[in-house]
Amino acid sequence: MAEVHANGVCFNAQVLEPQGAPADAPTIVFVHGLVTDNLSSFYYTLAGPAVVAGARVILYDLRGHGRSQRPEAGYTADDGVTDLCALLDALGMRDPVYLVGNSYGGILAARMAVTVPDRVAGLVLIEASCAGTGAAAWIEDMANTLSVTALRLEHDGARDQYRMAGQRRMARLITHVDGLLNRTSLVDDVAAERPLRPTELAAIRCPVLGVYGERSELVAAASELTRHVPGCTVRILPGLAHTVLREATDVLRDILLSWLAERTAHVLTDTRRAG
Amino acid sequence: MSKSDTVLDEVVQLLIEVVGEDFLLDLEITRDTTFSDDLALESIEFVALAEKLQHRYGGRVDFAAFVADMDITEIMTMKVGTLVAYIEERTTAARSAG
Repeated sequence: MAEVHANGVCFNAQVLEPQGAPADAPTIVFVHGLVTDNLSSFYYTLAGPAVVAGARVILYDLRGHGRSQRPEAGYTADDGVTDLCALLDALGMRDPVYLVGNSYGGILAARMAVTVPDRVAGLVLIEASCAGTGAAAWIEDMANTLSVTALRLEHDGARDQYRMAGQRRMARLITHVDGLLNRTSLVDDVAAERPLRPTELAAIRCPVLGVYGERSELVAAASELTRHVPGCTVRILPGLAHTVLREATDVLRDILLSWLAERTAHVLTDTRRAG
Repeated sequence: MSKSDTVLDEVVQLLIEVVGEDFLLDLEITRDTTFSDDLALESIEFVALAEKLQHRYGGRVDFAAFVADMDITEIMTMKVGTLVAYIEERTTAARSAG
């Protein structure tokens, strides 16, 4: 299952099937963040509990990320939506799926809920700002940070130093980031990204859950959601910043599974395995 | 060769498939070897290893449930022996049940 060809790209993807689940078990697709992130951040946190609770889980690496292929172009949110739709087609997933996006993955997930609403059963945004001036500022900030990182990687010898020192993991990380930032259109594509218009956000009809850290720079996105998406659920986690997935995994897991359990009979909130 | 060695050898073989033989050539992998500190395994490589093991052992193991019971720190500091012991326990249980 690891390699799935879709939209001209070879993706690293995993489908985790719940044991003994009915064919109509809900499907959750986890969408990770930019550049250094990959499917493992969800594999280690929410994926296992979601499967144990009865959901089918799809994990994949975005193009250019993790163990997926790294084409030179195609890194806009719209490209990401095309990729994900093609991936679901390749996996034979025709029914609407729940999308859970962390950070930039939330931008992609929200874009799909707007542009391909028939394929989205529900939308969960973890620390993602998708619409309005807050989102525009965040996208600009990401593009600036990535541009600076790209320049630094091109001109300093960090990769060779780590390689010489036998620090395999750092050397490989730097090689990956350098390749993605300096040999693809990703930085330009992020810089050219447009936030959703509030009217687009307001047009989302599927259930929406947003989770934010109280101290995050993106916390204003929570009120943006409340203002524009009627009936959405918003949770703000005290004392946390952007890294809620990693630092509040248990709380986030409970919030996600409770929210799902209210929408599908197949997900059980008690994730404790017998024995 | 004991049953234990068989599972350990299979885990090592699949590790080589994931990270490449060159890197592991000089390392002796035992049950006390840690994935993170000793092998410098990247988190995504551990996921790839788990998938290969899931494919190898099929329904007798359930790695999604295995990692669901651990936090990130536990997963990242795991020893090879912990993974081997889990596989042994599950495959033995499956044999007994069958």
